Amino acid sequence: MPTSFSTNRNLAQPLLLLAGFALLIGISIGTLWLVDRAADDARSVAHTLRVQDMMSNVLLNMRRAEAGQRGYLFTEASRYLDDYNDAGPAAEEQLRLVREQTADNPRRKGELDAIERTMNGKFAEMDRSIELTKAGNRDAARTFVLGDRGRELMNDLRQQIEKLIDDEGRLLTERNEASQRTNRWLLILTILGAALVVVVGGIAVLLMRRNVAQREAARQELAVINANLERIVEFRTADLVEANEEIQRFAYIVSHDLRSPLVNIMGFTSELEALRKDIFDEIGKLRAQLDELNAHAAAQATPVETLGKDFDEALGFIKTSIAKMDRLINAVLKLSREGRRQFNPETIDMNEMLGSIEQTVAHRAAEQEAKVTIDDLPAVESDRLAIEQIFSNLIDNALKYGRTSEPSRIAVTGHANAAYVSFDVSDNGRGIDPHDHQRVFELFRRSGVQDKPGEGIGLAHVRALVRRMGGTLKLKSELGKGSTFTVTLPRRWTENTRSIA
Amino acid sequence: MNSKMSQEPVEIIMIEDDEGHARLIEKNIRRAGVNNRITPFTNGTDAVSFLFGPDGSAATNKNKPLLILLDLNLPDMTGVDILGRVKSNEHLKRIPVVVLTTTDDATEIQRCYDLGCNVYITKPVDYENFANAIRQLGLFFSVIQVPATN
Repeated sequence: MPTSFSTNRNLAQPLLLLAGFALLIGISIGTLWLVDRAADDARSVAHTLRVQDMMSNVLLNMRRAEAGQRGYLFTEASRYLDDYNDAGPAAEEQLRLVREQTADNPRRKGELDAIERTMNGKFAEMDRSIELTKAGNRDAARTFVLGDRGRELMNDLRQQIEKLIDDEGRLLTERNEASQRTNRWLLILTILGAALVVVVGGIAVLLMRRNVAQREAARQELAVINANLERIVEFRTADLVEANEEIQRFAYIVSHDLRSPLVNIMGFTSELEALRKDIFDEIGKLRAQLDELNAHAAAQATPVETLGKDFDEALGFIKTSIAKMDRLINAVLKLSREGRRQFNPETIDMNEMLGSIEQTVAHRAAEQEAKVTIDDLPAVESDRLAIEQIFSNLIDNALKYGRTSEPSRIAVTGHANAAYVSFDVSDNGRGIDPHDHQRVFELFRRSGVQDKPGEGIGLAHVRALVRRMGGTLKLKSELGKGSTFTVTLPRRWTENTRSIA
Repeated sequence: MNSKMSQEPVEIIMIEDDEGHARLIEKNIRRAGVNNRITPFTNGTDAVSFLFGPDGSAATNKNKPLLILLDLNLPDMTGVDILGRVKSNEHLKRIPVVVLTTTDDATEIQRCYDLGCNVYITKPVDYENFANAIRQLGLFFSVIQVPATN
């Protein structure tokens, strides 16, 4: 699948979820706000009802006061006066409470002021009539009442209060409507929230399922790829192992079959050599006889010694060549044999091993005044013989190719990490031209001044061994400045560690 | 070469495909003073048909004192096969078999001794060593007792 697509989808999923959650939070806040508003609405409705109730009480008390006044006027009984005296302040008290409740409404204040004025007018009218009655002037009081001033005032008051109650009633309707609206919104929002929760939840589940499905598909794809890869690697490894084995067998057969004619060449050359003595003895004798017969011819003939020397020279070349060929064949044979040898991994104390290698070269080192120092080395789990051959060869080379100007200093150091151990074999010897750094590891190839015996096998052998152990062999060297060979090996060699090299 | 169990002198069967090698071996055996008859074969088939006869039972070689010099690398079969057959044959199993070959592979040597080979010698390329080895073998031939086949 294309990367951009999957990246978009990967980005879309959290974004979608985030948007869902943001909406949910919005709805929650909206709901809270609406609940708050609903509470406000309820409060205002209650407030309105309270105000209406109080205003009704004002009117009621005013009526009670009027009833008391009239009762007094009619009967002159003081208990009616008590009613009057009781209801009047109660009405005023109620009005005061209404004022408190509607303090925030300036329009209401004006209306209440007007009501209070009317009430005061009414009170003044009633007080006057009561005063007249108290003074015993009942006729004047009757005339006063009949003047209809009090009735008008009471009507005014009733109208004013009813208007206010109506007004509050209108307000109540409005507030009720608002409250209903709020409640409707609250309901809508709650349903929307619930729906959204379901939707977001559904999307999340869907996304998760798709994710899981994708992951599963990817996992299966990966498993298939891995299996394929493993099979390919297996095939390749098998091919390589087979090719490697074939080369080993080939090397073995070739070297072995080359040896066979060599035995003949060497054998019959030696037989010829043995014959030479007889032949030259014979020639010597014949020459002597010829000398007696013809002195002149004998003087012209090549001396027997010269003939013998040429003969020996030819035989000598043949024999050294055969010997060399035999050594080369043996080297190939040895390498092929090493390549086929089964490794037996064991834990090797490298300090002990290098110590014993140092012991074996101690005599030679002393002769050359060479000094070998061995650091504390990490242990390695590997094939003992192979490891020994690797380090014997490297130390042997270091000793062999020292400089004449100063005694050799050879140092072996090592360190380990989790999976690998590295060993450096350094010397202050003649060094290797960087040009030849590859060449020295090739079979039968050597570098520098050819003043030491050798076939060019050692390093090829070392490299083959290191590679077989799944390690690497590195060379750092400059001509005239010494060399450092770094052997890196797996800490633990197993059959699977084997590298195809 | 002595043979207590038979009045006939021991016959040396040399199975060697390389005629040069055969010649050098013969020369050096003779130099050791061994004059027994040497019958050379240059391939496995001829040697097998001589040893086992036309019916493959080796009855033809019954009561004959023999000694086999065997090379392992033959053109038509490996010497190991011949060794195995000789050592598992009722009539031939007591014949001393000297494996004389260029191979010095450890597993090959082991296999030959497992099959019943009596001596295993590697041909050295160095002729002095080669001649020396064969001459000592010749000396060895001159003192060993060989049973007759039965």
